[in-house]
Amino acid sequence: MLTAVLRRIGLSLLILFFVSVLVFLATEVLPGDALDVFLTADDLLVMEPEQIEALRRDFGLDKPAIWRFIEWLSGAVTGDFGVTFIDKTPVSEVIWDPLLNSLLLGLVITIIAVPVALAIGSTTGYYRGRKPDAVVSSLAIIGYSIPDFVIGTLLIIFFAVWIPLFPALILVFADASVWELLKVSIMPAITVIIGHVAHLSRLLRAGFIEAMNCEFIERARLSGVPEKRIVFRHALPASVIPSLNSVALFIAGLLNGLIVIEKVFGYPGLGLQLIEAVDKREVHVVQAITLLGAVLVIGMNLLADLSIIILDPRVRSHKNE
Amino acid sequence: MSEKSIISVLTSSPATTIGVLLVTIHLLSALLAPLYVPYGVTELAGPSMLAPGSPGHLLGTDVIGRDYLTRLVIGGRTSIFVAMLGALSAVVIGGLIGVSAAYIGGFYDDAIMRIVDTKLSIPGVLFVALCVVGFGRSIPVLTIVIAINYMPGALRIIRSQALTQVPLDYVKCARLRGESKLAVIIRELCPNVMEVVVVEFALRMSSAILAVSALSFLGLGISPPTPDWGLMVYEGIRQIYIAPWLVLLPAFLISTLVIGLNFATDGLANALGLDAARGLY
Amino acid sequence: MGWPMPWAWTLPGAFTERFMSLLNINNLTVGYVNPSGELVPAVQDVSFGLNKGETLGIVGESGCGKSTLARAILGYCRPGSFIMGGEVLFDGEDILQMSSSQLRDLRGQRIAMVPQNPLSSLTYHMKVGPQVDEILKIHRGMDSNAARLHTLELFAGTNLPDPEQIYDRYPHEISGGQRQRVVIAGALACQPAIMVLDEPTTALDTTTEIQVLKLVKELRQENEMALIYITHDLTLTDYICKNVLVMLDGEVVEQGQVAKIFKHPRTDYTKMLIAAIPRVDAKSGAGASLPAAGAPQPLLEVDGLKFRYGQRRSLATIFKSREEPLAVDDVSFDLEHGETVGLVGESGSGKSTIANIICGLLTATTGNVVFDGQPINTPAEKRSLEFRKRIQIIFQDPLSSLNPRHRIETILTRPLKIFFGLKGKAASDRAIELLEAMELLPEHLSRFPRQLSGGQQQRVAIACAFAAKPDLILCDEVTSALDVSVQAHVLELLKAIQEKTGVACVFISHDLGVVKQVANKVIVLQKGIVAEAGPTEDVFAKPTHNYTRLLLAAASRENTEHT
Repeated sequence: MLTAVLRRIGLSLLILFFVSVLVFLATEVLPGDALDVFLTADDLLVMEPEQIEALRRDFGLDKPAIWRFIEWLSGAVTGDFGVTFIDKTPVSEVIWDPLLNSLLLGLVITIIAVPVALAIGSTTGYYRGRKPDAVVSSLAIIGYSIPDFVIGTLLIIFFAVWIPLFPALILVFADASVWELLKVSIMPAITVIIGHVAHLSRLLRAGFIEAMNCEFIERARLSGVPEKRIVFRHALPASVIPSLNSVALFIAGLLNGLIVIEKVFGYPGLGLQLIEAVDKREVHVVQAITLLGAVLVIGMNLLADLSIIILDPRVRSHKNE
Repeated sequence: MSEKSIISVLTSSPATTIGVLLVTIHLLSALLAPLYVPYGVTELAGPSMLAPGSPGHLLGTDVIGRDYLTRLVIGGRTSIFVAMLGALSAVVIGGLIGVSAAYIGGFYDDAIMRIVDTKLSIPGVLFVALCVVGFGRSIPVLTIVIAINYMPGALRIIRSQALTQVPLDYVKCARLRGESKLAVIIRELCPNVMEVVVVEFALRMSSAILAVSALSFLGLGISPPTPDWGLMVYEGIRQIYIAPWLVLLPAFLISTLVIGLNFATDGLANALGLDAARGLY
Repeated sequence: MGWPMPWAWTLPGAFTERFMSLLNINNLTVGYVNPSGELVPAVQDVSFGLNKGETLGIVGESGCGKSTLARAILGYCRPGSFIMGGEVLFDGEDILQMSSSQLRDLRGQRIAMVPQNPLSSLTYHMKVGPQVDEILKIHRGMDSNAARLHTLELFAGTNLPDPEQIYDRYPHEISGGQRQRVVIAGALACQPAIMVLDEPTTALDTTTEIQVLKLVKELRQENEMALIYITHDLTLTDYICKNVLVMLDGEVVEQGQVAKIFKHPRTDYTKMLIAAIPRVDAKSGAGASLPAAGAPQPLLEVDGLKFRYGQRRSLATIFKSREEPLAVDDVSFDLEHGETVGLVGESGSGKSTIANIICGLLTATTGNVVFDGQPINTPAEKRSLEFRKRIQIIFQDPLSSLNPRHRIETILTRPLKIFFGLKGKAASDRAIELLEAMELLPEHLSRFPRQLSGGQQQRVAIACAFAAKPDLILCDEVTSALDVSVQAHVLELLKAIQEKTGVACVFISHDLGVVKQVANKVIVLQKGIVAEAGPTEDVFAKPTHNYTRLLLAAASRENTEHT
């Protein structure tokens, strides 16, 4: 098993490396470099070529690509992502608080969403084909078909405009306290939960149905094992493995959702930061956030796969046969 | 499985029928839009923020004074076009590569799968953000980015299906006849993954529509003055207190299109015996 | 219920039987909904009785409803199927009317079932011991310790080696035979009155099968259980059961004592089943016509063939340090024109690998294959069109050999086009000729494979192979996936076409009876090594190697006891 675990970790590191190359290259393929992207047409009119060149040297953009890549990557490993163009603030400072805020929101969402989705998925899977399942499944499909930003906007209209329960826009700063953040995270969390729980419950439902269709469930029934024990002791553990992959997918999708929702509500997270950076064409910030997002996804997938390796007795003792 | 007629598949459950109906209405309306819109898309046809139901402006006007009905109807066209073309390219190209990877195997397969894993590790919006920062916003860029975004997912799923076919004996027979790799891939394997391909296309298309609207909303997608539902929702938020319909109408249209697509796809997948509940991201 | 009523003896016969029987099935009908939405009966109007301690075999081919019937006896229907009528009287009570809690009480305790595939019927994430404990805890109310001790006893009773160790193992960590014993132990746990076994040995090797069968027989005698044994193999019923039920398409076509049925089968179907059993003690066939005299050299020479799996390079194999064992270890034989050589052995003996090497799907690790004087050690892609045409292979699973998306016409005309350049009408005409040689109709050309039966599909596969007019045909278990009734027919057709065209044949099978019928000479393989080789008559009559003797003994199960 140890070899399987090591191989899996090695694979993740390999992918992470490729991702960093991809992220770095995305801005290298352009004619011109990061600075050219940053400068607007107006800037180009105003500035002298020598000034632009001086700026370039200042940011170290005149060095060959490989060199810059190595510098960037080695810096990234320690948390140093370079500096912003506009005022040379270290990127890591710019994204630190938003990063934590997004993690908080994500955590809140995950803690609520996963158990709820598991309960809904298992129940609808168990009663598969019958009325409650059909109704809930249809509701779920509607749930994840409506775009996040629509749900968010609708919630704003209902609970901020018509029924003034919550503030429509969040006017909290990035460095606010955890308690304040939690207060304003309720609406964004609900928005994401509605759509993403719907989807996750469908995935978990499929996994549960797969488990219930296994032959050993039939044998257990034919041996007189009570239903409750069949579900909790035989079927549910069997559904965990396909479920882990679904949860990893869920978290990856969560990142997409967070970006949109932070923009809708103005929650001071990494997603909002990203949009601003794209607006201001701060290439280094965008690179840094993208890399972090990829780290999270790769990490989640790694965790899911490692859990499977450790939990599934068939994989665990494969070498012992 | 394919003995069922298409009609029976499309009407296999009330949800599926509703879905198919919604999709057909949307597609027809988008296709025929230029024929029946009363005004031009950027035409300043009336006073600003006229309430819906006024004579000459069935759905009122927006902030600047453009007819809302016109903008709404045309607004779907761009998203649907980009989504359809993007999803189609993703599924066709991804599918061919996936089948070839399944058949050829070895280092080629490994390399392709590592590339797939790499791309799948970057969440969609981030990837688009990266590209937009680099390449700017335009319809061609958006279409290509959507295609590239969904290609790895489609590739992986179609490859899985192809992998179930590759060890089968008819593939071995083809090899023994001396058929070229290309012939085996196209003649023997592709027909047997078609069902998965169709479901994948439908799934990707519904994701793509969601993605395009979200991107436009965020300012990374379609740029004004081209009308787009996502963009229109964003533009309408500022007027939420006085003219909520500016947000509600495009939101409703996006939702019904995607709901329709998803109901229809779900029914289609069930009828084909496939599992539609897979990753949409 | 269960106490014999004193006055039952005086009642008329049928009524007496009703009260005396342990199990009485009356007019049972079970249906399911097919893909087109219609309600189709899987079991139709079945009636029979079973007394205490009796053994009943239920025989039929795939799809006859025997598995559905088996589960209905426990009051269970697979999702999608329904009881449509009838009653299942156990000790006087109708199981079909019982409540869920009564059923749970009944199952595993008074009637127990041993399903077909022990690997998939044991919960993979639970250790094997606790799964038997579970049954004891539920029905007998034992606590963990008592259950464990009892389970170990049960394991010992089913001849499991080292019960303590096996107790802590997971299902995939023990062998197939051991798994089945665990399931049997679980079924025995509460000493049920009836044990239903659904093809319990189908998934096992021949040698393991014998052991499990012997075990079942012993256990039945020890425990005085009634046994219902379901199988597709008529000879097995012979070995274990006193009475038998023959099923076809959901109905019982014949029932009675096994010995009587074998001697005097009443229905045509039963007669066909009995006749179709390839007898190992029957006269051996001469195979194809005798090899062409005066041929300068053998058609096929296999010399010192060795093969090892795991040679494909990829990221996965780069880190593998273990070397795979030899699947084929130094195999050599010759084949003359028109001759048929049989390759026999159990699964894993390397016989399919050899065929794959000869036709070019695999490349030998070392050794030579010479065809008509030319070495053909290369994969099929690198061989000339000529050689690809002259060597053809037919696979075991007909559904897998035909592309489900191609019509029969496309499937047959493709080799015609590639090897002979035939197109259009000329190709279709030739295709029809080939179909007719296999007793198929021209209208089959426009069908898809899944619209044909298993036997028909295999005939198409054979026609496809012969379309190329080969000199050598490799038959890899071509009849093993077919129903017994169809096997004989397909073999006949194969033999006929072989005689007509003078094709040489390498016939691979694990079924000795079949090999005896078709082969001139026989090679017995054990784990990749040639255990014995020689003319068919000699090998079968006077086997020299232990392994050959073992296989022959397993194949010719004698009807030694009627219980």
